[in-house]
Amino acid sequence: MEMPAPNATILSKKAKIVERLQSVLPKDAVIYDEAETRAYECDGLSAYRCPPLAAVLPASTEEVSAVLKICHEEGVPVVPRGSGTSLAGGALPTADSVILGVARLNDVIETDYENRVIKVQTGRTNLSVTGAVEEEDFFYAPDPSSQLACAIAGNIAMNSGGAHCLKYGVTTNNLLGVTLVMMDGTITELGGAHMDAGGLDLLGLICGSEGQLGVVTEATLRILRKPEGARPVLMGFDDNEVAGACVADIIKAGVLPVAIEFMDRPCIEATEAFAGAGYPMCEALLIVEVEGSDAEIDEQLGLIMQIARKHNPVELRESKSAEESAKIWLGRKSAFGAMGQINDYMCLDGTIPVSSLPYVLKRISEMSKDYGLDVANVFHAGDGNMHPLILFDANKPGDLELCEALGADILRLCVEVGGCLTGEHGVGIEKRDLMVDQFAPADLENQMAVKDVFDPQWLLNPAKVFPLEASEARRAMALAAE
Amino acid sequence: MTPRTETELAEAIASAKAPLRIIGGGTRPIGMPVAGEVVSTSALSGVELYEPGALTIVAKAGTPIAEIETALDAENQRLAFEPMDHRGLLGTTGDPTIGGVVAANVSGPRRIQAGACRDHMLGVRFVDGAGTILKNGGRVMKNVTGYDLVKLLTGSYGTLGVLSEVSLKVLPKTDTQATLMIHGLDYPQAVKAMSAALGSPYEVSAAAHMPDMGQGAMTMLRIEGFEKSVAYRTDQLKAELAAFGEISVEADPVKSAKIWTASRDVAGFHKVEGDVWRISVKPTDGATLATKLGTDKLFMDWGGGLIWVVLPKGTDLRAKMNGTPGHATLMRADEPTRATLGTFHPELAPIAKISAGLRAKFDPRGILNPGLMA
Amino acid sequence: MQTTFTPEQLTDPGIQRSNEILRTCVHCGFCTATCPTYQVLGDELDSPRGRIYLIKDMLENERTPDEKTVKHIDRCLSCLACMSTCPSGVHYMHLVDHAREYIEQKYKRSWSDRALRWILAQILPYPTRFRLALLGAKAGRPFAFLMPDARLKAMLEMAPKTIPPVSRNDDPQTFTPEAPKKMRVTLMTGCAQKALNTDINDATIRLLRRLGAEVVVAEGAGCCGALTHHMGKTKESHATAAKNIKAWHKEMEGEGLDAIVINTSGCGTTVKDYGHMFRNEPLAKEAAAVAGIAKDISEVLIELLPKGAPEFKSGGTETLTVAYHAACSLQHGQQIKTYPKDLLKRAGFKVVEPADSHLCCGSAGTYNLMQPEISKQLKKRKVDTLEAKNPDIIAAGNIGCMMQIGGATEIPIMHTVELLDWATGGPQPPAMTAEGKRAPEVPILR
Repeated sequence: MEMPAPNATILSKKAKIVERLQSVLPKDAVIYDEAETRAYECDGLSAYRCPPLAAVLPASTEEVSAVLKICHEEGVPVVPRGSGTSLAGGALPTADSVILGVARLNDVIETDYENRVIKVQTGRTNLSVTGAVEEEDFFYAPDPSSQLACAIAGNIAMNSGGAHCLKYGVTTNNLLGVTLVMMDGTITELGGAHMDAGGLDLLGLICGSEGQLGVVTEATLRILRKPEGARPVLMGFDDNEVAGACVADIIKAGVLPVAIEFMDRPCIEATEAFAGAGYPMCEALLIVEVEGSDAEIDEQLGLIMQIARKHNPVELRESKSAEESAKIWLGRKSAFGAMGQINDYMCLDGTIPVSSLPYVLKRISEMSKDYGLDVANVFHAGDGNMHPLILFDANKPGDLELCEALGADILRLCVEVGGCLTGEHGVGIEKRDLMVDQFAPADLENQMAVKDVFDPQWLLNPAKVFPLEASEARRAMALAAE
Repeated sequence: MTPRTETELAEAIASAKAPLRIIGGGTRPIGMPVAGEVVSTSALSGVELYEPGALTIVAKAGTPIAEIETALDAENQRLAFEPMDHRGLLGTTGDPTIGGVVAANVSGPRRIQAGACRDHMLGVRFVDGAGTILKNGGRVMKNVTGYDLVKLLTGSYGTLGVLSEVSLKVLPKTDTQATLMIHGLDYPQAVKAMSAALGSPYEVSAAAHMPDMGQGAMTMLRIEGFEKSVAYRTDQLKAELAAFGEISVEADPVKSAKIWTASRDVAGFHKVEGDVWRISVKPTDGATLATKLGTDKLFMDWGGGLIWVVLPKGTDLRAKMNGTPGHATLMRADEPTRATLGTFHPELAPIAKISAGLRAKFDPRGILNPGLMA
Repeated sequence: MQTTFTPEQLTDPGIQRSNEILRTCVHCGFCTATCPTYQVLGDELDSPRGRIYLIKDMLENERTPDEKTVKHIDRCLSCLACMSTCPSGVHYMHLVDHAREYIEQKYKRSWSDRALRWILAQILPYPTRFRLALLGAKAGRPFAFLMPDARLKAMLEMAPKTIPPVSRNDDPQTFTPEAPKKMRVTLMTGCAQKALNTDINDATIRLLRRLGAEVVVAEGAGCCGALTHHMGKTKESHATAAKNIKAWHKEMEGEGLDAIVINTSGCGTTVKDYGHMFRNEPLAKEAAAVAGIAKDISEVLIELLPKGAPEFKSGGTETLTVAYHAACSLQHGQQIKTYPKDLLKRAGFKVVEPADSHLCCGSAGTYNLMQPEISKQLKKRKVDTLEAKNPDIIAAGNIGCMMQIGGATEIPIMHTVELLDWATGGPQPPAMTAEGKRAPEVPILR
């Protein structure tokens, strides 16, 4: 992956920049030694790496503002970073950039059960937001797989989804307000504890803007009362197409499961070997979960199983207890770990219209053979959000490039059938050069014009989202204008 | 002008020499009046794609809501955000369009549970102020590719671009519904009761409160779902809220639905004289504000977070809000009042600067509904 | 994760193992979420993922460790919460052990650092020396405020006010079972523990005998080697570990052993790893055999005390709420999470757990002495979350945690076996009847 050539002027004034940053932050909050900056050279996508000029760890909105103001004045690019769990390289630094980590901003500011909102600092992890309200039986709904570690800041930047978004929506649907620090250090508020921010929906724009428009330091999030219970049913099919048809029938029947997860044979085999959840060996496995009181769950699962039976499943297992539910989810939850045991992997997340599922799976399997790299599929079937995991050997020369090429072909296929490049991980560094496959030049120009408004110098999270050529041209223009 | 294709629309805008007034069905004259040649999207009409199994519908912007609803109805699905029909309140006629709903981010009582119009938006095609045809989002349910201009366009009242096509997420209809009615509560008690209901695990899909307008104050809670489930949750909720006062249940789904159509369209104020304001605040602030306003020409939706109030002509509601976080829109008033008070809530300086910057990028010549969102 | 070791580097068995471990890491960052030092410091460098990165860089480039790399690795508690969390099964323990050994060999620490480490390595593993040191420290405590080095001050403050007399139960001998014999086990009597608290071994022996176990205290066994092992002092740790391996293996070859019972979970984690530690040494076979039968006391008791066991006397326990503190070495190091709680529940106690029970209390062997600042913050968090549950008693399975937590709360703290001993007919744990409440900075052990 090509990275922009670092700005020599910035590199040459590193000492001055570090000194200025140290003047507004505690001593241990500025990391600049080369032995230490290396730990910030990548996020959850370790295939691409580049140590930053420095990393800073502010502990308040005011400190974030002070850092941005200095970087703005010095013309230094800033890469905001939540917990560094991005699978798209969303927090990958450039050599001339400052990493702005929000890990120390992790307080709960206010919990308000009557209005059903919680206000947190955005370095707080997703799961610990639920942790803060679960004693009162509330929860924060978006649940990306990395929810244990990922920060709300990153969730907002990428508009993260999760397994249960079929019912509860993704981050943007659960975000009511933010404190935003602009690149020049200006602190402002968007929305609040009320519904629907007034004026233009800038809140909706900020969510999913991959840290390129501003740094979000505080967020007001909707919290919901926990359902009385939840239980899944597991079904196995001998054919992908049949499994796909079953998903469509369930949705059409008017039952709205909270999650419909899909695993294909390579994935079932790998997770069975690793976690031993007792899955049937078949072509496609579905886990469908519903919520409510026991009686409500029974009724919904009954209906779902009735539909499933019409598609001749090779296995149909309804959970009757918490233990059985855990067993059904075990394999799915171990899927990524299981892949890590086999080899290095790259996880894509293109979305497709549910109707093209069988065709896309067939094409992926053909491409996998052509490239000679194994691909396992595990994904949120209810919303068509695929997660093809391409296995490769990072220590084998040429394998990463092969994997990238296969990944690009799979994502182009997603676009071709009417879907998109990324459903929840974000474009980041990984998919920026594929943006031209989904968007016309004018569409990209339109999006870049938005960035011009928020960050005219193009300093925030450089070299992401847009094709490198386009974003570099923009930066050069901004520099020339100065 | 009534362009028949997206291309014609683009050409019309590109060749415009003066401000344009963009309308869909023309049933929602919200905001400051715009002087300019009318561009109507009503001829850009028709459902392009509807996949019930994928819960998605794509339609041209001028498609009447009625047409969309008929199509969805046939598959037992619906627009879950329950868009309000503004005709009664604003005294307009015509056919509301899906483009109008999106441009004004119109939602109804189910917004508290299912989200607003913007939460169901999957993609848009639009023409910007330079006449360029653009798209953002798509037709799949999860999509974070590039910036979310779908949200930005939704609720932008045609000031950033003219919508030509929209794609939305749809949801299955529910089997049946019932409405719980708690009688005789004042505003703070009503908000407490609605908060308790919305904070329960019984999936209340709407919560509204009507003060005493002759038939006694009434706090209403809607439960939807499968028949047995609705019965179960109604019972549970009734027991849980017993302490608030007398509770009756409207178990007839047709009658229950009527209550919510009336709430959605704020039917109580259709014939009431005065300025109509729409206020979005957090529910507990809603209780305080409603008490302070001291009027019974007030209606609460969204668990107390949405307040509709009729005030004597020219009253500056925002002054009475006295800094309460949230925003108030002057929905119905004569032109001089609108000009004096402004229709949309004033923005913080940094936000106003960004909004102006965005408008300058999307519509460099300032010809799309100029000044409407003031 | 990609690694760049050369084929020559990979001929080194230590590097080979580290490479294997690094290759399973996918850099997902889940480990950061449960790492206590990351919770306190919020810096990637003080998280497992950051440390893995530092170690990888150091080993790949055969770098002489720099001060900063050493600082971040020294800050690791070795609580192994990261291993419980890791979805990919990265064996962080072996990796960080390797790094510590590498640092010990290649990095010249400051004079005061070396002195402190030398003193600890010379005293703690030797019960007699430790007893003498404790008596000295007790005398020195009033002068603690004069200590220039925070760590030396922490040492003095840690010393309990009461030092128990030597227990003759810890001498090599065989205890006959008091019920029909079900098994023959050896009890590891430990080193520091028996100088600080003799109640634990006494209770363990009583309990095992009562339940039908013949208990041997083997001649020649002593410190498990964990303390020096975690300082990277491989020579010292292997020397003490080898003594244990030989002593216990002799018993295994002789009358036979069903288990090596360990009631200090920090030691248990190390003993269970003897097979790996000695894999390239002449004692490999014996070490693996010993590690294979090493068990935490709770593992043995779960066999001996089935649900509704007649040994449980009713009365007394039902009214008591026990907050169970999960020692990291037990819950993460040995992955024993439910046994102690199950046993306490079977004995009739009401068992509660603090919030964030996965987080370390900051004791972590000698960590509280070497990193007093971080340790103090973790101690406060742990004590706050424990006290929030309003327990009558705190129970733990590791002497280090007992000292750490006991020093900051007035709630009596004791070993799980002491409560189980009591519930099956033994004496009430002395810590429960300790005369009056002590000054809170001193652990109420006895």
